[in-house]
Amino acid sequence: MTDFRVAGKGRIAHQRPVHFTFDGVSYEGRAGDTVASALLANGVHLMGRSFKYHRPRGLVTAGSEEPNALISTSRGAGRTEPNTRATMQEIWPGLATESQNRWPSLGFDVGGINDRLHMLFSAGFYYKTFMWPKSFWDKVYEPIIRSAAGLGKSPTEPDPDHYASRNLHCDVLIVGAGPAGLAAALVAARAGSNVVLVDEHAEMGGTLLSEPSISIDDVPAWTWLDKSLAELHSRDNVRLMSRTTAIGYYHQNLVGLCQRLTDHLETSPLGAPRERLWRVRAKQVILAQGAIEKPLVFDGNDRPGIIMAGAAQTFLNRFGVKVGNSPVVVTSHDSAWYAAFDISDAGDRVAAIVDTRAEVSPPLLKEASARSIEVRLSHTVTGSRGRKRVSAIRVNGVKTGRVGAGQWIDCDAVLMCGGWTPSLHLFSHTQGKLDWDASAGAFLPGKKTESCEIAGAGRGLWGIAAVLQDGAKAGATVLDALGIGGNKIGFAVANDRIGTGALHKELPTDGNPSRARAFIDFQNDVTAKDIRLAVKEGMRSIEHVKRYTTNGMATDQGKLSNINGLMIAADALQREAPKVGLTTFRPPYTPTTFGALAGYHKGTHFDVTRKTPIDGWAQDNGAVFEPVALWRRAWYFPKSGEDMHAAVNRECRAVRQGVGMFDASTLGKIEVVGPDAVTFMERMYTNPWAKLAPGRCRYGLLLGEDGFIRDDGVIGRLADDRFHVTTTTGGAARVLNMMEDYLQTEWPDLKVWLTSTTEAWSVIALQGPKARDVLAPFVEGIDLSDQAFPHMSVISCKVAGFPARLFRVSFTGELGFEINVPSRHGRALWGKLWAAGQPHGITAYGTETMHVLRAEKGFIIVGQDTDGTVTPDDAGIGWAIGKAKPDFVGKRSLARPDIVAKGRKQLIGLLTEDPKIVLQEGAQIVTDPKQPLPMKMIGHVTSSYWSEALGRSIAMALVEDGRGRMDQALYVPMPGRDLAVKVVTPIFHDPQGERLKV
Amino acid sequence: MISNNPSNVAPVAISELPLEARFNLRVRAADKKAIEKALGLTLPDRVGLAGSTKQRTALCLGPDEWVINSSAKDTDTLEASLAKATVPHSLVNVTDREVTWRLSGPRAAELLSAGIARDLAKIKPQTGARTIFDGVQAVLFRETEHDWTLSVWRSFAPHARHLIDTVNEELASGL
Repeated sequence: MTDFRVAGKGRIAHQRPVHFTFDGVSYEGRAGDTVASALLANGVHLMGRSFKYHRPRGLVTAGSEEPNALISTSRGAGRTEPNTRATMQEIWPGLATESQNRWPSLGFDVGGINDRLHMLFSAGFYYKTFMWPKSFWDKVYEPIIRSAAGLGKSPTEPDPDHYASRNLHCDVLIVGAGPAGLAAALVAARAGSNVVLVDEHAEMGGTLLSEPSISIDDVPAWTWLDKSLAELHSRDNVRLMSRTTAIGYYHQNLVGLCQRLTDHLETSPLGAPRERLWRVRAKQVILAQGAIEKPLVFDGNDRPGIIMAGAAQTFLNRFGVKVGNSPVVVTSHDSAWYAAFDISDAGDRVAAIVDTRAEVSPPLLKEASARSIEVRLSHTVTGSRGRKRVSAIRVNGVKTGRVGAGQWIDCDAVLMCGGWTPSLHLFSHTQGKLDWDASAGAFLPGKKTESCEIAGAGRGLWGIAAVLQDGAKAGATVLDALGIGGNKIGFAVANDRIGTGALHKELPTDGNPSRARAFIDFQNDVTAKDIRLAVKEGMRSIEHVKRYTTNGMATDQGKLSNINGLMIAADALQREAPKVGLTTFRPPYTPTTFGALAGYHKGTHFDVTRKTPIDGWAQDNGAVFEPVALWRRAWYFPKSGEDMHAAVNRECRAVRQGVGMFDASTLGKIEVVGPDAVTFMERMYTNPWAKLAPGRCRYGLLLGEDGFIRDDGVIGRLADDRFHVTTTTGGAARVLNMMEDYLQTEWPDLKVWLTSTTEAWSVIALQGPKARDVLAPFVEGIDLSDQAFPHMSVISCKVAGFPARLFRVSFTGELGFEINVPSRHGRALWGKLWAAGQPHGITAYGTETMHVLRAEKGFIIVGQDTDGTVTPDDAGIGWAIGKAKPDFVGKRSLARPDIVAKGRKQLIGLLTEDPKIVLQEGAQIVTDPKQPLPMKMIGHVTSSYWSEALGRSIAMALVEDGRGRMDQALYVPMPGRDLAVKVVTPIFHDPQGERLKV
Repeated sequence: MISNNPSNVAPVAISELPLEARFNLRVRAADKKAIEKALGLTLPDRVGLAGSTKQRTALCLGPDEWVINSSAKDTDTLEASLAKATVPHSLVNVTDREVTWRLSGPRAAELLSAGIARDLAKIKPQTGARTIFDGVQAVLFRETEHDWTLSVWRSFAPHARHLIDTVNEELASGL
């Protein structure tokens, strides 16, 4: 195995070998390596296959912008991750990694056939090819395309990892810990402001990590870096976070950070999250994200071994790895010259520096000459050779626009540089304006929408001195904005590397440009000719070019490709670049795990599940639960061998014949208190309240302004100035909000206040002819007889020694009580009543039985028998309206022409001709099932149950002019047959209400 | 691989407080004096501020709203004294509505920041806020620099407590 490690170079621990695997082969790296640097050290360049053509690819960058070196990593079941960038993944002992998008192996990939057929797969291929026949789309094309699409394999096991999140507030958030970010942080920190500095890499320092030869303030760059970081670390007002990516920049300086905590560790501590999402609200933000190097666009520029010059410099200086033994540098920017010098100084032969420009600065030429590096100016690159690794590159002189003869230069690596693109992704998230700078050939930050500064290479500056100075200036600017004074700091930089470059579209060639495989977007396999074809086929906006060619639509969001694509599109359109436009970057900056975004909200913590104090008893006694709003409620209590039907029938019989008990704690409760309480109740509810005496209850009906039913519940008057209002379980919060809304905006003069007491009370309903027998022994000093404590009474008393509000109410049609006790006592009271009820055959029942029993009595459930378009009269409860009241919410709407018109849907009862058939809720109703399609549907079934009391099925329905159709036959068309039903009054059981008067 | 925690000590001490007495008090500014007199307690007029005597504490939650905390044995006395107040007001016993935890330790604020978006540094000792903890309505009170109480409605408590315990384990992990 070839060793490309350079002794003594880099920041890795040369004495600490680390073994990991790639495609099953074990490799040795060093502590501090990424997968990319460790593979390069072993001479491995081929790391993946491209998405569309399955071309062999090696890495091209050393950072998070990497388009090619996407691998899957694994640390056991459920802990595999596809599309990890090898340039960002740090190695640890035992790390297992694999290449992607290849079969059967990375070296020999059947999908490579696509590359031979590349002339078929032009831009817009899918749009053009799969249009006809239209019927093929659903059954044939889409399934095939879907199975072929996607990069990497999604893990199939649940993710066992834990993900965290935090909120954080600070004065200054600095994104990027390169020279600009560090300078800004030093200024802001020394002034005492609260600073957060983040960087996506394992180590902070940015470009300084790749430029050890520069000196700052008379010490080597790395010494200065260590000193600066130590100072920042030592300050309480500074938080440094590495391996932390600022993924999105949202309104009002809210920045999302994703911090990777364990992916680089061999073992992670118990309870440690894998990643943590930070929601940072910063008074000021400094974006110091630097710049991303652009590839040169030439035929065969994607061959493994052709990488960005800056990346090669990083691999050498930061990781102590050389990318080849005799590299050629091809460039249009000065920066690549310095990369060549560093490589030469490390002892390698640089085969040549090929520059597209006719002139470069004399000092560079002198330095090249001093190192005996061959220099070729005014040259273009027109081809490359080598299947899985570049072996030669073809260069041609260009004179007055004419491309001369090609010449092959042998090499084992090509370092290319097409200039640098300021990284403005986060700025773009803020909808900040980007201005085209023609001289820099780049978009630079323009008008800002948030309190932020952009510093350093991110706004087109070049050279460490300029960037440090700019960072310090940004630090001072934000201190000013914060009203904090700070001291200016300056930096003395020696051996700085400043430079300029030229901007290109695809490089000129002597070959046929329409056959050139000159890649722009490596990940999505988009070439220069694809862009030109898109323009030729009518795309004018860069947004359309992007979607037609998929340029910039891969997981790297066009970090390398966007500007090259734009330059070529602008050339093809013969327009200036800014007129063609730039696509908008959107969060996240780099691919982010769903785990980080979901945070704690998974499994049992996915959402709130509200449980009553009695829930535990229900669980212990075999209840089946159903969700009601956020609550889980006992649905029914099956005994062994019972299905739902049998259990519900038994529970229904118990309530009708003996006594049942029910946990009604979830009912919403609102205490309405104040001298104007009764006035408020008169205005909110349809019913009259003025004459309701303390100690008495009334059914209350709440409408919206539109006159439609919103909620209902029994309301007890506890005192002249105090009401105990109950609401539906799901309506509790909504009703309180609606009441507060009216109180605060319409009737601020009323002296009345609302307090939610839903959870202050546990509520146990005892229902059935024997309810009083069970309850009476527990109630102290109260006569529970029908004369003394009739239906619809309420009293404060003691039940089983607990302070209680005792209601005599019934939602079943039987003698009933609802006992409210402070929540902490609910479970205890339930136990006492349960024990005392055993001789009476007491039976616990759930929501299903409650629903059946109320339906037998024709009591509505708001939201089931009503749907937001039902008036009191429609529901047959017009009696609940206080006719003499001057006003209440919704009153005027009840006089609207469409509300008083004939033919509205009204709630009626239905009995099936066959008593054994239980209708389906939601089923449609027609008058004549023989009528032609489409039939006129006159209503639908809202509630339908088997009634154990009646020994037959019952149903409620909303039917057009329903009450005018009594005893009529209607039909419910169902698959295979039409069910005949008869319209009846929706009170099926004890219509006179005799059973309540006991 | 998961390594074990070197110490089993939870970084933040969490205890559920026994139910004593908790009231929701509502009164208009003009009538506040009479209620203060009946309570023997100053009702602070800025949201978030608290006033207290040896036994009773009032935390202002809204322009006309305070939560009064006191001892269980004070319940009847407090209700009786306010019953005599003739100015319009509302006193509702909500003792059992909420569960309250005390979170103590230098990292308590960090733990709370997992569920609360507000800047906790701005909540000074002896002040509080009605806020949201992990999607759940909560009343937060900072007793001292490192002691906080968090009250949530009873049925939301398991959800909130689950997050509190999870984050505490996270803090113990050192990451």
